[in-house]
Amino acid sequence: MVDEIPVLELRGITKRFPGVVANDRVDLDVREGEVHALLGENGAGKSTLMNEVYGLYRPDEGQVWVRGRPVTIHSPKEAIASGIGMVHQHFMLIPVMTVAENIVLATEPTHGAVFLDLDTAVARVKELSETFGLAVDPRARVDAISVAQQQRVEILKALYRGADILILDEPTAVLTPQETEELFVVIRSLREQGKSIIFISHKLKEVLQIADRITVLRRGKKVETLQREGATENQLARLMVGREVLLRVDKQPASPGDPLLLVEELSVLDDRGLEAVRGASLEVREGEIVGLAGVDGNGQTELIEALTGLRRVASGRIAIGGKDVTGAGAKDVIDLGIGHIPEDRHRHGLVLDFSLAENLALHDFRKAPDSRFGWLFPRRLVERAKNLLRQFDVRGGGPETLASSLSGGNQQKVVLAREIARDPRVLLAAQPTRGLDVGAIEFVHRRLIEARDRRKAVLLISFELDEILSLADRILVIYEGRIVAEFGPDADEHELGIAMTGGTLEEVAA
Amino acid sequence: MTAPTEPLDSRVYRWHPNTRKVGIAGMILGLVAFWLALPPLNTRAVALPVAVGFLGVAAGIWAVSRGERRTGWGAVLVSVLGMACGVLATRATVGHLEVVVTWSALIAATFRYATPLTFAAMGGLFSERSGVVNIALEGMMLMGAFFAILGADKTGSWEAGLFTGMAAGAALALVHAFFCINLRADQIVVGTAINFLALGITGYAYIDIYGLAGTPDHIPTVPDVHLKFLEHIPPTSLGNFLEDSIGTMNLMIWLSFLLVIVTYIVIFRTPTGLRIRSVGEHPRAADTVGISVYRTRYLAVTTSGALAALGGAYLSIGFLGSFGENLTAGRGFIALAALIFGNWRPFGAFGAALLFGFASAFAPQLQNVDSWAQYNTLFQALPYLLTLIAVAGIIGRSIPPAAVGRPYVKQ
Amino acid sequence: MSEPDTPIEPAATPEEAGPPSVAARLALYQRAGGIITPLLTAALAFLIGGLVVVATTGKSPFSTYRAIFRGAGLNWFFDVGSHSIRVPFSTHHVWFPWNTAFASTAGFNLQQTLILATPLMLTGLAVAFAFRCGLFNIGGNGQYTVGAMFAMQMGVWFVGLPQALHIFLALGVAALAGAVWAGIAGLLKATVGAHEVITTIMLNYIALLVASWLIGIGGPLQQNNPGQESVPESSTIANSAHLPVFWGSPVLQGLHIGIFIAIGALVVYWLVLNRTTLGFEVRAVGYNPEAARYSGISVAKNYFLAMAISGAFAGIAGGIDLLGWEFKLDTTDVASTQAGFIGIAVALLGRNKPIGIFLAAILFGALLTGTSTRNLDPTIFQPELAGNLSRIIQGLVVLFVGADVLILYLWNSRRKLRRGQPKAVTSP
Repeated sequence: MVDEIPVLELRGITKRFPGVVANDRVDLDVREGEVHALLGENGAGKSTLMNEVYGLYRPDEGQVWVRGRPVTIHSPKEAIASGIGMVHQHFMLIPVMTVAENIVLATEPTHGAVFLDLDTAVARVKELSETFGLAVDPRARVDAISVAQQQRVEILKALYRGADILILDEPTAVLTPQETEELFVVIRSLREQGKSIIFISHKLKEVLQIADRITVLRRGKKVETLQREGATENQLARLMVGREVLLRVDKQPASPGDPLLLVEELSVLDDRGLEAVRGASLEVREGEIVGLAGVDGNGQTELIEALTGLRRVASGRIAIGGKDVTGAGAKDVIDLGIGHIPEDRHRHGLVLDFSLAENLALHDFRKAPDSRFGWLFPRRLVERAKNLLRQFDVRGGGPETLASSLSGGNQQKVVLAREIARDPRVLLAAQPTRGLDVGAIEFVHRRLIEARDRRKAVLLISFELDEILSLADRILVIYEGRIVAEFGPDADEHELGIAMTGGTLEEVAA
Repeated sequence: MTAPTEPLDSRVYRWHPNTRKVGIAGMILGLVAFWLALPPLNTRAVALPVAVGFLGVAAGIWAVSRGERRTGWGAVLVSVLGMACGVLATRATVGHLEVVVTWSALIAATFRYATPLTFAAMGGLFSERSGVVNIALEGMMLMGAFFAILGADKTGSWEAGLFTGMAAGAALALVHAFFCINLRADQIVVGTAINFLALGITGYAYIDIYGLAGTPDHIPTVPDVHLKFLEHIPPTSLGNFLEDSIGTMNLMIWLSFLLVIVTYIVIFRTPTGLRIRSVGEHPRAADTVGISVYRTRYLAVTTSGALAALGGAYLSIGFLGSFGENLTAGRGFIALAALIFGNWRPFGAFGAALLFGFASAFAPQLQNVDSWAQYNTLFQALPYLLTLIAVAGIIGRSIPPAAVGRPYVKQ
Repeated sequence: MSEPDTPIEPAATPEEAGPPSVAARLALYQRAGGIITPLLTAALAFLIGGLVVVATTGKSPFSTYRAIFRGAGLNWFFDVGSHSIRVPFSTHHVWFPWNTAFASTAGFNLQQTLILATPLMLTGLAVAFAFRCGLFNIGGNGQYTVGAMFAMQMGVWFVGLPQALHIFLALGVAALAGAVWAGIAGLLKATVGAHEVITTIMLNYIALLVASWLIGIGGPLQQNNPGQESVPESSTIANSAHLPVFWGSPVLQGLHIGIFIAIGALVVYWLVLNRTTLGFEVRAVGYNPEAARYSGISVAKNYFLAMAISGAFAGIAGGIDLLGWEFKLDTTDVASTQAGFIGIAVALLGRNKPIGIFLAAILFGALLTGTSTRNLDPTIFQPELAGNLSRIIQGLVVLFVGADVLILYLWNSRRKLRRGQPKAVTSP
């Protein structure tokens, strides 16, 4: 076993992006016929690492070996040639073409090198799918099959091109529990056939179910590689999430009052028509910050969109200050006193080609004093902007500066200024510190606490446990569209981590 | 979020062959309802077109209720129109109808009008299927028209003329491709510019070389194909009909039929076609399997230029034997409309081209009867209205290739 | 969902971010280019045009351009002296630096240039307004025609109205007609998302053909002058609907007050976009429809309104031409309308700004007049050739607009990368 050459080996892989080190001297080795899980939180560097193996990124330092030979992989084509295949989270399939067409694309079998030989393609696909136990209908159109089936097509695509090493990036994120089981059967079958699987995930339970060995990454560094036997959820959670010092913001203890935001049995569908929010219920009282913890993709986006009137509510109820506002449109919701700091400030929060004054006026421009009977008074916009920019310490320009010239932190300050200055009763903050430097993060946190101290109801949605732990007075965990746990402000991180990945506390105790 | 770019429709897009056939049958019934009142049958009883049309509507509604929206609603529309026109036609005097509707002449004229559209539409199909919007078909057609005449004139052979025409169209298409693909400029702006340029270049060269006198007479033109044997097919009326309608069609008309078939085969039955389509639907997916998006699009756009130019060449050296400024007069845009109406499929676009050709052929016939003469121009507006309805999705959505119009950024 | 590609800011790929709107792309060079890029673009186009002249005819491009310049009457500005001009609405005369006397050829040519430039300003505004909302209005020709037709009818009926009222009515109806015609495309875009380029092109042809039918032989609106049954043209409008001429002779097609209406429209354009809540919404939707939606702005409503307003401008253009010098429409006029298309070049060269549109319209108007057979000295350069040369120049101008967006984008993103910030707009 010791003499066995790993089928894939990474040594000292380092990748830097402006301002952050995504991979910091990561070592990894994967054996033949092994399922190797890559575990870590959002931002740990798992996908980046594998994207480098697949040729989508170039590592700044380090070396990759495939079957003992050093390789440099510059493109997916070269990765495929080395026997590496990857199934991304965003499928690279062409919806209007059939399964067989997608699989054989660019290596099509032909009649006499001129005509497409789809029958042979279909036959080969059928062969492959039987060998590996991946049932698909080769003649079906990709947009007519389920997501789980599409995933199988992606796997077949890699296998068709001779992949021995298969990288699966968060494959169970899009699957139901039943489909996940089926996928695991496939993975085991692939392993029997000598393939190596790298399984990227943040879900502890699944990793413990399927992996042979587990490598945990944390903040770009490799923490440890362990065998599955003997590993526990607790242990893994601690490795994933453990940290040295927690930066906590100074704050008074909360004294919350009546509930200002009430959500009852809310059900919301996502773009694909599937339930993203499945009967979630929560309440946020005035004068408290409720942190909603959870891994991205568990329904947070759809929940926020429903609360801000950007997405239809399938069933359930939303009430603000006792008044039922289910189904209100975006404009009405703004008038009803909800402030929203969107998670993508470039796409949703700001109009980058507008000036700061115009951006600050995005909600209020229809009313006096900004306008009257449809006539706009730019000077009022500028005046208000001057005030707000000073209050919120926005650097990098004045009211006439275009939003695109500001740094990310200052842009976020502008969004905050706009939302908070309107004095909404309820403030929804989604990833408010994403992409910000420490100073800006601190600023945002202070403002959120301030809002809470002014008896507002704040719902904070974040993927950073740090942030939630330091800000929230109450912590809820969302998983697969439901609120699955509630904790006080001094929650144990490991318990949080387990709840976030679908585990339950009783199981931990057991 | 994750997974594919389009929302999955749980009402799966699986057409049942039978339903579709019923829809098509409905459309045919609608056409028959109209035809019954026309020569040679000249039915005067109002009941007949109404009855047949009604059957067509019924068939259409049945198809729609089974989920076959496009052909179903199309059948309803065609049947209602056919019924109305049929009833109107029963009120016209037979004499008038005979003079206006001479089927053999109409068919011959339809093909003549449709052919330049067919060439250009097939060209547009290649370009758009690869993801590049091409509203410069008009300009490329015009280039082909002029440089075909020039080539034929200077070399004395129409074959050379076709070649120079195609080369000119391809050259202009390369400019279009460069600005759209490499410089990632807005494809519609570039297309508009190309049209301006083509108008200017051909006009300038035309006057510079030929002056105000125009192109000389006796420029070698593409020959007609005489199918003498058709005349002898019994019965005599059929033989004469065939002879009059398709017996003396230009070689390029026959080439256009061939082109439609070849286009279908290439796009749907060859690896090249598969790759072109993949680049037009999901260029990143194609890129990750090693297909060069840039190269594929360049090839497709250049092809579209050459084919559109052939359409223009037909106008100059196939049909007229001469050239005039702005000879194409907007036919490139009509070809684009035909492409969209035909849902970016070769036979669909061909059918649409025939429809437009028929409208252009039929309209002047109305002038044979005094009281109808003025409706000539109005009738010509019908195909554009139909395209507008098609684009609005009233009879089922016209769905372009998913990535069309978006410049591709390599990572 | 896996973590973002870079932990700082996920670089949204162009496909995921959605196609950047036309307005957002044009905004890039609006900001950074100022007046330099349009000048450079035009200069480059004229340079290439000059090369064409040399290569094909061996003539000097300078003398050609000078002849066009003279033909357009732009040399009128160089004849500065001590002249006098009559103050409007009185008989008082006042000093004026330029010669407005009747006999000046340059003045006459300039009048023609400005007459042609007037509708171009308006069609340019039409295209520009739609661009600001992220829409491409290629339907200027159809909207122009519809406007002209309705203006014609208003001018033919309502004989005996006081002139100001008659003109106001005719132009108002023309604007409304253009707005409705473009509004169809806007409505289709707002409801079913039909691409406005296709719908407006189709509407162009429908307008052209319906108008040709209406005024054609046997058509319901054909003139019924005795003995002229075979002339396919409309009735002539009443004198009370003519736009008053303020420079030159009405008999010889002097310059009418339409130019002031056009200039007024330029001001209205600026005011609507920058001083009204409607303009605020239109601009927001044009730059970032998603962010606009998040702020409660209705994207569909603005698509419709932007197209309608755009069509109104083009409709007025048609109305002004009709009331100003055409006075009636015939089928060849209708078929040869190009104002809508040239408006695209005007808007692009003018960078969607009122000053730019004004100057670009004059440039293209000058090209049209200066190369016409009446005005260009054939010994220096053949007018028919020159006409086509100006089309080539137009095409090049529009073509280079696309390219300079990229150059500026690269310039901007280099600066941003140096500051270590993520790119603002992902692709041109």
